[in-house]
Amino acid sequence: MSAAAPGGAAALGLDAGSTTLKAVAIDAAGRILARRVEPSHPRIGEQAERLLAALRAEVGGEPPVGATGYGRKRVAAGRALTEITCHARGAFALAGRPGVLLDMGGQDTKVIRVGPGGEVQDFAMNDKCAAGTGRFLEVILARLHVPLAEVAEQAARAARPVTVSSTCTVFAESEVISLLASGEPLEGIVKGLHAALASRTAAMVRGAGEGELLMSGGVALNAAMVAALAEALGRPVRVLPEPQLAGALGAALAVLGRSG
Amino acid sequence: MRRAYIERQRQAGRRALAVLPVHHPRELLTAHGVLGVELWGPPGPPRGDGAGRLQAYVCAVARNALAFLQAGGARAVDGVLFPHTCDSIQGLAALAADFGGVAGRTLVFQHPRGGARPSARAFALAELRNLSSALAELTGAPLDPARLGWALGLHAEIDACRAALLDGRARLPMDDAALYALLRRGEWLWPEEHLAELGAARALLAPAPVQRGVPVLVTGYVPEPAGLLPALAGAGLYLAADDYAAVGRRVVRAVPAGGEPFLALVERMLAAPPCPTRGTDQGERIRWLVGLAERSGARGVLVHVQKFCEPELFDVPAIKAAFAGRGLPVLVLEGELERELSGQAETRLEAFGEMLRRAA
Amino acid sequence: MILRRTQYELARRVVGPTLLRLEAWQKARARSGRGPRGGPFGPPLESTRKLKELLSLHYLAGRYADGAVPVAWVTSGFPVELLRPLGFHAVYPENHAAMCGVQRIVPELSDAVEQQGYSRDLCSYARTDLGSVVTGKTPAGRLPRPDLLCCCTNICQTVLYWYKALAAHFQVPLVLVDTPYVYGEVRAHDLPYVRAQLEELVAVAERVAGRRVDPEELRAVTVRAREGSRLWGECLATSRARPAPWTGFDGFFHMAPIVALRGGEECNAYYRLLRDELQDRVKRGIGGIREERHRLLWDNLPMWFAVRELSTLLAERGFNFACTSYTNAWAEAGVQVDPADPYGSAARAYTHVILNQDLSNRLGILRRLAREYSCDGAVLHSDRSCKPYSIGQVDLRERLARELSVKVLLLDADHSDPRAWAAEPGENRLTAFMESFG
Repeated sequence: MSAAAPGGAAALGLDAGSTTLKAVAIDAAGRILARRVEPSHPRIGEQAERLLAALRAEVGGEPPVGATGYGRKRVAAGRALTEITCHARGAFALAGRPGVLLDMGGQDTKVIRVGPGGEVQDFAMNDKCAAGTGRFLEVILARLHVPLAEVAEQAARAARPVTVSSTCTVFAESEVISLLASGEPLEGIVKGLHAALASRTAAMVRGAGEGELLMSGGVALNAAMVAALAEALGRPVRVLPEPQLAGALGAALAVLGRSG
Repeated sequence: MRRAYIERQRQAGRRALAVLPVHHPRELLTAHGVLGVELWGPPGPPRGDGAGRLQAYVCAVARNALAFLQAGGARAVDGVLFPHTCDSIQGLAALAADFGGVAGRTLVFQHPRGGARPSARAFALAELRNLSSALAELTGAPLDPARLGWALGLHAEIDACRAALLDGRARLPMDDAALYALLRRGEWLWPEEHLAELGAARALLAPAPVQRGVPVLVTGYVPEPAGLLPALAGAGLYLAADDYAAVGRRVVRAVPAGGEPFLALVERMLAAPPCPTRGTDQGERIRWLVGLAERSGARGVLVHVQKFCEPELFDVPAIKAAFAGRGLPVLVLEGELERELSGQAETRLEAFGEMLRRAA
Repeated sequence: MILRRTQYELARRVVGPTLLRLEAWQKARARSGRGPRGGPFGPPLESTRKLKELLSLHYLAGRYADGAVPVAWVTSGFPVELLRPLGFHAVYPENHAAMCGVQRIVPELSDAVEQQGYSRDLCSYARTDLGSVVTGKTPAGRLPRPDLLCCCTNICQTVLYWYKALAAHFQVPLVLVDTPYVYGEVRAHDLPYVRAQLEELVAVAERVAGRRVDPEELRAVTVRAREGSRLWGECLATSRARPAPWTGFDGFFHMAPIVALRGGEECNAYYRLLRDELQDRVKRGIGGIREERHRLLWDNLPMWFAVRELSTLLAERGFNFACTSYTNAWAEAGVQVDPADPYGSAARAYTHVILNQDLSNRLGILRRLAREYSCDGAVLHSDRSCKPYSIGQVDLRERLARELSVKVLLLDADHSDPRAWAAEPGENRLTAFMESFG
């Protein structure tokens, strides 16, 4: 256990993702005391140290560090685990029960079956192209000049989704431009894009079997995507509180020696 | 290094053939004094004039091989042998034979599909005799039947060693990287030299298990990139049972008794483990894999396939379903014959290791 | 069994035709007041109505086939003549998958099997068929369950992997005809191998059907199959005229009977009707498109989901596909079957299909077609789903362009999965290609 004073920070968790860096400080009960979220820099090691130093300054002491995410090995940490294991633990702690976790981040989409102890029972990831990930939406929405903050509102306004058949980022980009050129409404296209991505993601989710569907990752903050997924799957999607932090929380819990 | 070795072999009077994956009668090449040098790629992005001759949706094994041969890779050998493995390698053979760009002689070997029907036996026999004539033409000397008998015995010994190493994997004090480097040297070493190396490794087998990692069954095409093996070790796993097309799937365990050497060779071919490129029934392949898993005590299954490789990819759902029903987790890893393991693939392996260790 | 048989026969002979006539009457009423197919196309073919009737009846009868007659699922290059005398109802999953492609339901069916772990990189026909088996969804209403799976690898090895998965699912026997690939000439042991397999498979099919092949009936079927292929060839050959009386894309739809109903009299009756109509159009100078300025050759399968869009795009600029190597394949193999030697001739014919022969042969066929049909350009469809048809096209393109001095376009797409087709850039490439003709 850590040297931190009772009631103080017991562990730090860092999720060094390819798009954003997330860090949390937790107490011995696993409650989040402080958090930091920043876009990732190329020099991820230095950035992580700076972020952790800021957290230490905020919560005091030298609590042990658990690291995850693709940059986990470039960080001085007491324990480094994959984001799959950490997301499962973090999500289990946040949800309080097992289920099927869908984590949609910038570069990766993961589906993890979380067992009754917060353990990974099975997992799947998207193939290596950006087709099934948050990056797909980011690229195309930027092309359409739709700010992320307005996405949900745009999609909700659409009377009907315009069918976007490509989920290849490159193909879809030209497809939406030609849809716009042929006079299709922007809202409908935005909704259609979410539907296309949701249908691709739904295939992965169904492969993981039954159970409550939990969602984490940055894309979970996009209400239009959550709605599109619920519709494609025909079952409710429960977005975890602070969905971006599930990985960092799981890393902190792992170094604390707790599973959930 | 490999090029220098081939050169020395040729100076010593042997002929050399580059051989495409997967199944071919090595015994027959050996009997004719021909060194087979297998061409699994090579890994990395295809380079040179041949790189664009096949579309990007053709598997990397075929694309890289064509680029390599066209860039002069075939100059070190006397010809290229194309087994009829799949549509892509067959297409490659047609391209090389008809439209050139690949130096040297083109030989083909078409193995029968769909099991041991009487028609398949007769065809395999004729096909072997046909290849033997082509090899005699290449070397300028007819086959001495006694040499074929000798080569059959030699390869049976090699397979016995390989089977001992793979089946006794837990008792072998070698890591995966060292073991696979040894086994894969058989893709290009003269068989007698390879047998000596295998025999030395076999002598290392301990009476009790020495491997401490979590045992995993692997099935798939070829263990490339080589970085996969240290990554597995880093994840706390080791390959306890092997069904790679390039490795374990070519080890014949049941050795038929002597007799006419060509007939004995046909029987050896038909006794090889199930392989989708030879059209084996799905149920038979699943039974084989389950047997491997049970005998080795594997606690997980790694399905390691190449993108666009239809014979392997079509069986993936059945493999997943079969092991899910037995409570063994399955990880499907798809590669494109990269030179290095991708970060994402490494993460998947690590997560798989974390999952299996926790379950243990 | 007897009840089922009665249902099957009723569907084929009585109810089906009545329903179809009713449907045709309803459609005609709905259509009345509207003109015929307009735009850049010539007047529509009268025979199309009969084609639809023929195929609808086939699929309608199929709904009642299992339990009534033995059912075989068959690959397009399989020697189906050998099964006909045993009374099999033959289902062509490739044909069915093409129908799903036209109706653009492939993504939905494919998703269902991608969930099970089938890769999206696999042939879209296979994904469609397996998806239809898993979900039960089909535009045909219902496909009868197979008693026998019949696979011939002369078109690709993919069908073998695909049918093995079907065999595991349905738990029924799979018979295989493994055709050695032909480099230059067949070797002495190739055809005896194929012939021996034909004899082996007939023994299995007889067991499944519960009866023996009657040699007289086999001869009669072989005669009809050969005649059907010859008639189909005559239909295609009408396009040597200028203007071609139909479009190459029309041919993709009208080829269904020679694939799926080969060996039956209704198939031949249909092609006599079609041939007569086409020859009549030639006499009267009626073209498949209004203004034929350029004639192209198409290589590989069509893009089923975009046939209408592409043919319009082309026709508007005066381009027609006068011939396609794909439809031509069914005019070349079938004429080689010989009633005097049904097994031996089938072994020869089915081993020599275009996709089972080397690239020199393929180049020869393309060259010959381009000359016979006076083509001034060619489009090679680089079909992501079909490796055997697509490998070599980079070389073929260069050879064709050089040896025939024609313009050749390599077009990346897929035969039935629209998700692999970038419509906007793809149509742009085609348009730029047509503009290059000046």
